[in-house]
Amino acid sequence: MGVDYYNILKVNRNASEDDLKKAYKRLAMIWHPDKNPAGKRPEAESKFKQISEAYDVLSDPTKRQIYDLYGEEALKSGQFPPPSSSRSAATHHPHYYNHHR
Amino acid sequence: MSIAFDAKGEGLAIGIDLGTTYSCVGVWQHGRVEIIANDQGNRTTPSYVAFTNNGRLIGDAAKNQVSMNPINTVFDAKRLIGRKFSDASVRNDMKLWPFKVRGVGDKPMIMVNYNNVEKKFAAEEISSMVLIKMREIAEAYIGSVVKNAVVTVPAHFNDLQRQATKNAGVIAGMNVMRIINEPTAAAIAYGLDKKGSTVGGKNVLIFDFGGGTFDVSLLKIEEGVFEVKATAGDTHLGGEDFDNRMLDHFVQEFKRKHEKDISNNPKALRRLRTSCERAKRTLSSTAQTTIEIDSLFEGTDFYTTITRARFEELNMDHFTKCMEPVEKCLRDAKMDKSIIHDVVLVGGSTRIPKVQQLLQDFFNGKELCKSINPDEAVAYGAAVQAAILGGEGDIDKVQDLLLLDVTPLSLGIENFKGQMKVVVPRNTTIPTKKLRLFTTVESAQTCIKFPVYEGERTIAKENRLLGTFKLKGIGIAEKGVPEVYVCFEIDANGILIVSAEEKSTGKKSKITLTNNCKRMLCNEEIKKMVKEAEKYKSEDEENKKKLEAKLVLFDYAYNMKDTVSNLSKLNRADKKKIVDAVAKTIRWLDENENRLAECEEYKDKMTKLENICIPIFTEMYKGAS
Repeated sequence: MGVDYYNILKVNRNASEDDLKKAYKRLAMIWHPDKNPAGKRPEAESKFKQISEAYDVLSDPTKRQIYDLYGEEALKSGQFPPPSSSRSAATHHPHYYNHHR
Repeated sequence: MSIAFDAKGEGLAIGIDLGTTYSCVGVWQHGRVEIIANDQGNRTTPSYVAFTNNGRLIGDAAKNQVSMNPINTVFDAKRLIGRKFSDASVRNDMKLWPFKVRGVGDKPMIMVNYNNVEKKFAAEEISSMVLIKMREIAEAYIGSVVKNAVVTVPAHFNDLQRQATKNAGVIAGMNVMRIINEPTAAAIAYGLDKKGSTVGGKNVLIFDFGGGTFDVSLLKIEEGVFEVKATAGDTHLGGEDFDNRMLDHFVQEFKRKHEKDISNNPKALRRLRTSCERAKRTLSSTAQTTIEIDSLFEGTDFYTTITRARFEELNMDHFTKCMEPVEKCLRDAKMDKSIIHDVVLVGGSTRIPKVQQLLQDFFNGKELCKSINPDEAVAYGAAVQAAILGGEGDIDKVQDLLLLDVTPLSLGIENFKGQMKVVVPRNTTIPTKKLRLFTTVESAQTCIKFPVYEGERTIAKENRLLGTFKLKGIGIAEKGVPEVYVCFEIDANGILIVSAEEKSTGKKSKITLTNNCKRMLCNEEIKKMVKEAEKYKSEDEENKKKLEAKLVLFDYAYNMKDTVSNLSKLNRADKKKIVDAVAKTIRWLDENENRLAECEEYKDKMTKLENICIPIFTEMYKGAS
């Protein structure tokens, strides 16, 4: 089971673009490291990273569709059947092969 | 474990607009931004540093003596900072500067004569001196030590220029909490991030027309993110060009009226130029103004008038030229002018009515944002951001502002084909964490090398290599089978950690790319510069003491000279004694006019003079009573 982006942003599964934006802004205000005292910063930073990641995925229709259908793992590995949209052309090739040098 | 501390305990944080020709400092106090005036009462301070035989001068004092000491008065350091000596722009700018610049290992170094010694300074060091001055101005006003500051840079500054600006702060002994873009600061000053929420964000055009540079930036503001969509401008167009046009006009007029050419007389030109600048400013609020200069050239007075219409006619080509970068900026951002929500005026030259009118006409009569003093808008915004970072969050006005920093360039890894595989796209808000899956390209491959790059080119080599690390000990498997997760993490301070982990074996490897690896100066060099900055500061204090000792002696000598010449009661022998001693002292002062002697020397001369004068006067008064 991967991460629940909807839960991170505290929105329901059919949240509109505007809902997402509002949720993101509200949470970013709370969890951005700039808004927290030094002692709380490491915690805030990791929270903020999650919030950003969730918003990054859900605010992009293509990514959101992949996430809804195949989950978070699929997004990161790129291992999912190619969606019809041509926008995600770059993610069709999930493996970035690296040479032994 | 980190220890919680009260950010306010470190004193107030200030916002500094470190400009090419002028700098400005502001602080958030009593629920609003206060722009701080310097010791001369000016709210902006020239970004000038002068080196003389009597010490170092910064700000107004440096600019005021520029005509007497052109080759040792440094300005425009911002045009050099973070650049290479071989850059075309550096080569071109050098032709215009009276001070010398030399390349030391492709780093431009400014050569000056300081206390009769040839010295070389990096642009960072000159900027650090200006920062020290701005900090002192703030400290004098606030009444306590200031450690933290937010400093602004032009939107088009690259990472090296930003890093170098940060280093200037380190050299000045300050903590630069954040570097923010000048147009962003101006937008913050107007609160454009919160004024009405528009679906799809807000498009703001910042028109920054200053003394020497002209910058147009197009920002998209959405959810606290200020994204720079495009920038354009002219690096050498500003108020000084208008002064020059007026100067040429009056030189011609003087020739016509008096049949005399003043163009080869620097002093006359300087006086006329000063009057032109004043006239230009006046013409922004009146339709006509006069120029009156007594004995401008060979005893001839120069009295004349100029109308706003004439001024506009003289500069019309400059003014119309200003609209080109606006069009270019819109073109680059692929935006139509009709979807621009706000147009913000920044920089002194935006006070010119014709400039405002052309811009307003271009935007079909749109109201321009001009309620904040255009010279101060950038420092104003920087001060707001400083208040937020300094923990002044209890104040309503700053509470709902969150300035999200973004990565200016994409970050990624070079794959075996030599392509740049982006992991963190540009304009990603930070802090951030991004994961990507990689694998092997050969069977039984046990080691993968990860070269980390930043840049927008698809060929990795054409981007900037930040560092390389390897993951070894991958389990033997067919090519394409091992799953290696590469994680890019950037914290709020812009420090990037890239790590790789193979799923099956759990083998890990990582690299930390602090800003150090992007620096043009190594830590050792910075440490050395910090030490030197401290040395210069104590020298300044020492020079101040010397200057005071010199003035005491100077005053005493001249005082004695006056007193003695007015006294009739003194006998001739005593009078001669004093007159001779005074003359000797004044001669010594004259001989050493261009150099500061040690405090002791002044004190010594002073004592000697007193030892001659005091007994004679004591005798004289005794005799009189």
